[in-house]
Amino acid sequence: MLVSRDWLTDYVDLGMPTDELTDRLAMSGLNHEGTEMVGDDPSIDLEVTSNRGDCLGHIGVAREISVLWEQKLQIPEAEPTVLAESVSNRVRVTIDCPDLCPRYTARLVRGVKVGPSPDWMIRRLMVAGIESVNNIVDVTNYVMLECGQPLHAFDFAKLAGGQIVVRNARQGETLEAIDHRSYPLTESMCVIADSKSAVAIAGVMGGAATEISGETTDVLIEVAEFQQISARNTARQLKLHSPSSYRFERGVDSHNVDWASRRCADLMVQVAGGELYAGVVDEGRPPQPLAQIELRYSQIDRLIGINIPTDEIERILGGLGCSVVASDKTSITVVAPSWRRDLTREVDLIEEVTRVYGYDKIPEDAAVPMSPSAKRNEDRVLAVVRNVLTASGFFEVITASAVVERWSTVVSPWTDEEAIQIGTAMLKGSHCLRRTLIPSLMGIRSFNERQGNQAVSVFETAHVYLPRGSELPKEQRNVGMLCDASFEQLKGVVESIIELLHIGTDIRTESYENAFFEAGRSATLYLGEQLLGFIGIVAAKPAKVVGVRSAIAIAELDLDVLQTHCTLVPRHVAHSTQPAITQDVNMIVDESVSWASIRDAATSVAGETLDGIEYRETYRDVKQDGEGKKRILFTITMRAEDRTLTMDEANAVRDRSVANIESTLGGKHVQ
Amino acid sequence: MALSEFLQELDALKSDASQRFEEASTQEGLESARVEFMGAKQGKLKATQKQMGTVDKADKPMAGKKLNEVKSAIDSAFEAAQSRLQAGAGGGADSAKGPRFDVTVPGATVQLGRLHPITQTIEELKDIMGRLGFSVVEGPEIEDVWHNFEALNISPEHPARDPLDNFYIGLAQATNNEPRLLRSQTSTVQIRVMEKTKPPIRIISLGRVYRPDEVDATHYPMFHQMEGLLIDQRVTMSDLKSVLRLFATSYLGGDVHIRFRPSFFPFTEPSVEADYYWDGRWVEFGGAGMVDPAVLTAVGYDPEQVTGFAFGLGIERLCMMRHNIRDIRHLFNNDTRFLSQF
Repeated sequence: MLVSRDWLTDYVDLGMPTDELTDRLAMSGLNHEGTEMVGDDPSIDLEVTSNRGDCLGHIGVAREISVLWEQKLQIPEAEPTVLAESVSNRVRVTIDCPDLCPRYTARLVRGVKVGPSPDWMIRRLMVAGIESVNNIVDVTNYVMLECGQPLHAFDFAKLAGGQIVVRNARQGETLEAIDHRSYPLTESMCVIADSKSAVAIAGVMGGAATEISGETTDVLIEVAEFQQISARNTARQLKLHSPSSYRFERGVDSHNVDWASRRCADLMVQVAGGELYAGVVDEGRPPQPLAQIELRYSQIDRLIGINIPTDEIERILGGLGCSVVASDKTSITVVAPSWRRDLTREVDLIEEVTRVYGYDKIPEDAAVPMSPSAKRNEDRVLAVVRNVLTASGFFEVITASAVVERWSTVVSPWTDEEAIQIGTAMLKGSHCLRRTLIPSLMGIRSFNERQGNQAVSVFETAHVYLPRGSELPKEQRNVGMLCDASFEQLKGVVESIIELLHIGTDIRTESYENAFFEAGRSATLYLGEQLLGFIGIVAAKPAKVVGVRSAIAIAELDLDVLQTHCTLVPRHVAHSTQPAITQDVNMIVDESVSWASIRDAATSVAGETLDGIEYRETYRDVKQDGEGKKRILFTITMRAEDRTLTMDEANAVRDRSVANIESTLGGKHVQ
Repeated sequence: MALSEFLQELDALKSDASQRFEEASTQEGLESARVEFMGAKQGKLKATQKQMGTVDKADKPMAGKKLNEVKSAIDSAFEAAQSRLQAGAGGGADSAKGPRFDVTVPGATVQLGRLHPITQTIEELKDIMGRLGFSVVEGPEIEDVWHNFEALNISPEHPARDPLDNFYIGLAQATNNEPRLLRSQTSTVQIRVMEKTKPPIRIISLGRVYRPDEVDATHYPMFHQMEGLLIDQRVTMSDLKSVLRLFATSYLGGDVHIRFRPSFFPFTEPSVEADYYWDGRWVEFGGAGMVDPAVLTAVGYDPEQVTGFAFGLGIERLCMMRHNIRDIRHLFNNDTRFLSQF
């Protein structure tokens, strides 16, 4: 809201410099955006919050000043002289849609002379950011900027039937507005019509057909209340935001409608001549009576932490326009002014009193009691995961939660349900809430490749959205990781996370066939019976969908499953002080025999002196062993709690293990 | 030969050798001393060693031990002398021509990743608020209208509910005609906590929030918020100011002051914009206020019994100010040349 300093002086004395004025206003609710000189008058830009429609006029701002500086506020009289003939003989108003237009008033001025406005008016409008059009239109704008109530002037001769009908627009109806563009209207919009057709978009903009021109002699002055949401929706749908729609969106003062109409008629006759018909055509519901609000003085201290003297409370409320109904030692009861529709409760009055009294009087050194707070397990687990990943060379990234359809469908390991769609794309074309983090990570990889950043490893921790029919979707907290290491290397990273979270169980892998991965190079990961996640080498074709050029490995884990199995505070287990004996074993087995099965076969019979089985390597010697065979090397470590093991004992453990592998898996031990 | 004689000889050999090595002033001098004492064939050490055969069998272990001690002492003395001469050479005319160790060569690279600057900022905020007794809570990002608007006293006619200002879930998936949307603020989590927990409550809710915005240097349709909430029997606006001051002082260091400017939010009354005074100017901190009685009522609290304050701030803005990042898009492009700076 651009405010003319000169204009304010009509209502309140301004002894203070402009800087002091704007500083104080900013501290009491009208944020100062800046001041520019227009001629010799400062044009002050004030930000008005959406609850303070009353400050979208100079009188409202002047009232704030009058309360802050303890000045008297002067509001001009609006008592124009009128003809003997009543306006109701000339004008008929019908409201067909009282939900969109609760009230409509019309006054009629005859015999005006349309021409330029007086200089003082042109200047003030200019400082307030409005171009002068002609004296009739200027007067309507002037009164709007004075009191915040939008008005419209129709060329009465062009209103068919001398009639105003407020109704819903008709399907297919269009209107040429005064900006000379044609707007297609919909049935939910409210229009002003004459006996034939729509002549204005209610509360938004007038029509070209009935606008004031050089030939206009009789003017119908519209002052109405239009419903807030309707005004906003219409302005948004038509992309037609006007100072008028801006004010209707925030609500107008129904008790001020008649004053605005009289004030407009009075000024119009002053600047454009003409005569005003007697009375007003006033349709719709009359202004509602105002409610009483009690403010208990003790509540200010309870809520704000300071005491404000009761006479100061009464002065502030009175200055803001509240009328005192009753007061005693403990409380004051007031009726809030009609222009402050935001004041309905005790707490609203507390805010008013405190902001005017000054928020700077609230101390900033209160003794707030101490309170315990613990780190969440989620955060402890996340810290471990992030530490392992950053130590392994992964950069953490943050990517959008929605992706384009093409990325969304490239892989979805967690669910087969279709991705949830949002009505508005988050980024260009991103309508799908992601069901996995992998495509987003591939996108970052691809972006970095194009920037010339080679071999970038990245991870992200974020929600994925897994639909669950009519319920709110399951939001699973995942960690996704991507790098160009081998399968084994990335699996090693996952195992390091498991190790540092002190998860007792080993990861169980199951083969996972999905065209997203290179055949045979992917697996599902389990902790116990719970699905932990996925790991694999991305096949060339899906990689190309997201634009990744090189071979990459990816893994995605469910953080909640990690948390379920982790031990955040490990307990010490005493270790044996006896020496260990290790035995290397070299087994020739079929290609189909997995390391896990060999390990399990050995472990199951090794007995209590087994300390560990460590995988060494796999190699193939087709000449010696033939096709379809491989050699797996591993080391068995044995240790007793209470004695030094003998070589014979160790050999026995090894032999039992080897025998079991040979009998259950068909392997052959190489001596 | 008697043991004592042998030991004396060894001692003498050790002190002679050490002296000669110490006196050597050139590589050549040191080398001739080395040959004299440590030479493989004619060296004095070798000669003494040979005499061990004549020591009594019973004394041999003792003799052998001493021999080893002396050997290693002579070795060390030689090495010390050699390093002394090399160090003294220091690139001078008579320095050795052989390979030299270069300590200025960079260390072997350890490939380390980084935490995203937003995560680093969030962790810092969690730390500070944790010290002030606030526990961290998180909640769903896809919300219903009750938690995102209604319980927060955002009426159906409020512009914040406009479909154009929110990411509503597509109609096909909005079952029972109940609209769902990506949360536009983290206050939703506060409602969820209050619905389940009796006061006192002291929490911060953190996470991603979503609002349709054209992407530019300061806007992105997804960003992060931190909101604080304290509800108890007698929480005042003065407590709010004091907690914000403690927070700002911890985050920025030094003695920071807080100022309130009136503002308007549906879920707080009074509502303020909080600024902090730092580095000679007032900087916008975020929105704050006393929890609106309508919100307390919505979650089943009695506004006559409890009061509370809430505040919220944008993490991107804080992070960008902290690290002098001028364009929000850097945070979401994830170029490693950017990420590796933090």
